[in-house]
Amino acid sequence: MPDNRLTQTEASLNPAVTQMVNIKIDGIELQVPKGENIIESAKRAGVDIPYFCYHPRLSKGDAANCRMCLVDVFAPRRAPDGTVSLAKMPKPQASCTLPADEGMVIVTDSEAVVRDRKGVLEFLLINHPLDCPICDRGGECPLQNNAIFYGAATSRYTEEKRHFPKAYPLAENVVFDRERCIHCARCTRFTEDISGDAQLGFLKRGADMEVGTFEHTAYKSKFSGNVIELCPVGALLSRSYRFKARPWDLHSQRSVCSKCSNGCNIKIDYRLDSLQRINGRINEAVNEEWTCDKGKFGHSYVSSEARLKTPMLKTGGEWKAIDWTEALQILVGKLRDANGSVAGIGGQRCTNEDNFAFQKLFREVLKSNDIDSRVEGYLGSVNKPLYERFGYHAMGNAIAELEDMKTILVLGSQLVDEQPIIYLRVRKAYRFKGATVINAVSSVPEDSPKVGDFAQLELVYKPGTEAALLKGILSVLSAEKLASVNGFAKGYTLEKAAEETGVSAEAIQQAARLMATGKLAIIAGREVANHANHLEVVQAIGDLAEATGNAQNINLPGEDVNSQGAADMGVLPDFAPGYAPLENPGKNTAQILQAAADGSLKVLWVAGAKLLEKFPNRELAQAAFASDTFIVVNELTMTETAQAADLVLPAASFAEKEGTFTNCERRVQRIHKAFDISLEIKPDWLIFSEVATRMGGGGGSFFSARDILKAISAQVPAYAGLTAKSLGDEGVRWNYPDK
Amino acid sequence: MGFLRTLQNTADGAKALTTGARITMRHYMGQLLKTEPLQTVQYPEERREQFPRTRWRHVLTRYENGLEKCIGCSLCAGACPARCIYVEAAENTDEDRYSPGERYAVKYEINMLRCIFCGFCQDACPTGAIVLRKDFELADFTRKDFLYTKEMLLEGASVIPLTAVGTHKEAVK
Repeated sequence: MPDNRLTQTEASLNPAVTQMVNIKIDGIELQVPKGENIIESAKRAGVDIPYFCYHPRLSKGDAANCRMCLVDVFAPRRAPDGTVSLAKMPKPQASCTLPADEGMVIVTDSEAVVRDRKGVLEFLLINHPLDCPICDRGGECPLQNNAIFYGAATSRYTEEKRHFPKAYPLAENVVFDRERCIHCARCTRFTEDISGDAQLGFLKRGADMEVGTFEHTAYKSKFSGNVIELCPVGALLSRSYRFKARPWDLHSQRSVCSKCSNGCNIKIDYRLDSLQRINGRINEAVNEEWTCDKGKFGHSYVSSEARLKTPMLKTGGEWKAIDWTEALQILVGKLRDANGSVAGIGGQRCTNEDNFAFQKLFREVLKSNDIDSRVEGYLGSVNKPLYERFGYHAMGNAIAELEDMKTILVLGSQLVDEQPIIYLRVRKAYRFKGATVINAVSSVPEDSPKVGDFAQLELVYKPGTEAALLKGILSVLSAEKLASVNGFAKGYTLEKAAEETGVSAEAIQQAARLMATGKLAIIAGREVANHANHLEVVQAIGDLAEATGNAQNINLPGEDVNSQGAADMGVLPDFAPGYAPLENPGKNTAQILQAAADGSLKVLWVAGAKLLEKFPNRELAQAAFASDTFIVVNELTMTETAQAADLVLPAASFAEKEGTFTNCERRVQRIHKAFDISLEIKPDWLIFSEVATRMGGGGGSFFSARDILKAISAQVPAYAGLTAKSLGDEGVRWNYPDK
Repeated sequence: MGFLRTLQNTADGAKALTTGARITMRHYMGQLLKTEPLQTVQYPEERREQFPRTRWRHVLTRYENGLEKCIGCSLCAGACPARCIYVEAAENTDEDRYSPGERYAVKYEINMLRCIFCGFCQDACPTGAIVLRKDFELADFTRKDFLYTKEMLLEGASVIPLTAVGTHKEAVK
């Protein structure tokens, strides 16, 4: 059963504790920080106060409107003669906005409070349709729960209720039942405080009040799914989950979202063997409790009809379903015949276990170092851009650390699409912690939300001129003596940078001044990762970070769910697991594809990499797939890449296997198996392991994912000591040994 | 004294036997001479009248206008202690309407082998759609036949709902 999501408090959003005060709640004496909301203090004391509109992560701006958390308050009063006595406040107070003060006495269960709650619920239910049996929220609904625990059994209201058409299409993924809404303003505050698009608001007044976008346009957001979980009634509902199941029909499994490298903690709610919905799971270090729409609604492929259920062999241009014995026989035969002329690409969507088995198979059984997990633009040594200079590879900061930055530079990234959860942290740093955000991109999309909506400064440069822009900023820092630049931007002037990038000189100057004010984090995105002169741009980023004293605050997060883990596991041509350099490096992705296109490669194994869809050099990928090379693909469905292959093996999705993912901030997190779609679908590691066994074993044979994790923790220094148990529910972030 | 007691016991036993035999003989003769009604039910030619609150086979009922009462809310499945009910819901459209309101059951299955006939589903049902009636002859030959589908459970309609078409029609006997 889904846990009650309304019971979290977030300390970081409260004012800093300066003083403790003594209060009494229902006879329980306790010390709380001065100014803390009584509703949170009551939670400390274990006293239950019902509420709807209150939410610890949302600002209190429009709150205290549901009136459910009323309590009686006695406050000390000093008489003219100096004696202090307790005086009852004449009316009950809303505990969600009542700050704690010395000597307060709170009563949550007096006769008046009980009566008031009954009255509030009776009012809330006047226009609520009470169609709980057909409401998707029924069974996990705060209104239902509070009505049962605190409400009256009957209503005195006999008139006609308010009626609206059902299932109003509010957003692409969200439908809205206006009859059920109790006007708690959680969704409107979410769009304003968290996602930053501020699209939802209240229209009209009184009994006619309704939530909507102004002018009734479509609610277009990248985070619209969260309002479904926030809604304390069944007013905001998921379009895809609508009428699919009731909460008691579902089983729930803890997992990690597979859509991007942020690694949001999620719950997979499933029924029999089909995934019904994804809900956010709380992990304060990663996603807090949010999910993006890609993660929440983008997993329908898991239980789709299109899933491959048997190996497929292409003979004479026709696809034929074959069984595993035959598939492995063909594959092993081809690998034997290839005699070492084999190469592997992929692994970014696979677990660490899959990747470890992948490189074991290639290095120890097939004796080839030609494997690479990367499909982005830069394919040189992973140590070059950052590691050799600063001692880390991708992200210097943890996601949560971004909150503490004074300035954040988002460079060459549509952050909200590429790294949605990092976007939410940046937004939180801006909204609640007063950070200044600078957005530098080559193109600004029309849609919202985006970093540009709240960035203090937006620098729109000509595509490919990132390095010039950064050098321009460095030259300003140097010219205005804002930082010691060590001659990083020699020969560069502000005018030259402005001319090359197309950004006004003033804007560059402003940006430089903002960056010199304190802790600066730089987040670089896809434009940098795929930049033709990647090294030069990263060099410039490093110069800027070093000049401003923020060498540990550079972030180049990968994009796929396990980009980080695949590299950690040594699915790289020049490094063994744990970035141990190899004596004779193999070919990288581009070189492998070139070899295939030339006809010098016999077998190419693609583990889930979408080469034809994503590889920047599409012509090369097409030439490789058109060649005589025997291409094996592990895939879930017949993607474009799979269509172009010779043999396709059905692989398990993240919902069907055990394992670990490493997210962009190097947090190793466990995923758990929820269900089986078909017993003919195998996890990638098992496919690699079975081939290794048939090829003569070596180090490539494993019995279970847990078995592989044991091998990883024994052989990869950074993962030393990690066990399924020590990873727990929130995962463990590994650090470089010397840091 | 031992002999006297034995004699007494024998007399008591004989008396009890004749008392019982007299009752048996009275009813036997009564039924033979047709002075009292027959007590034996000649199953399966004839069936005994069931008690009014007997709980046997489930039926999904309909409204008078022929629409299904079931709204696919799955409360029966939630209440079921044997977890033997499976409900899948879908949305009614104006062209293809099965029940009043938004939602109807597209699949409704009861595993009769698991069912313990407690009647909690009937209790939980907010529309009175599922009821346990008096058909008690539920024996069958294969296990699969005990999986009662919605078509088997739905009662026949005296009126064919105007909007009901397609699969719906087949269920209407």
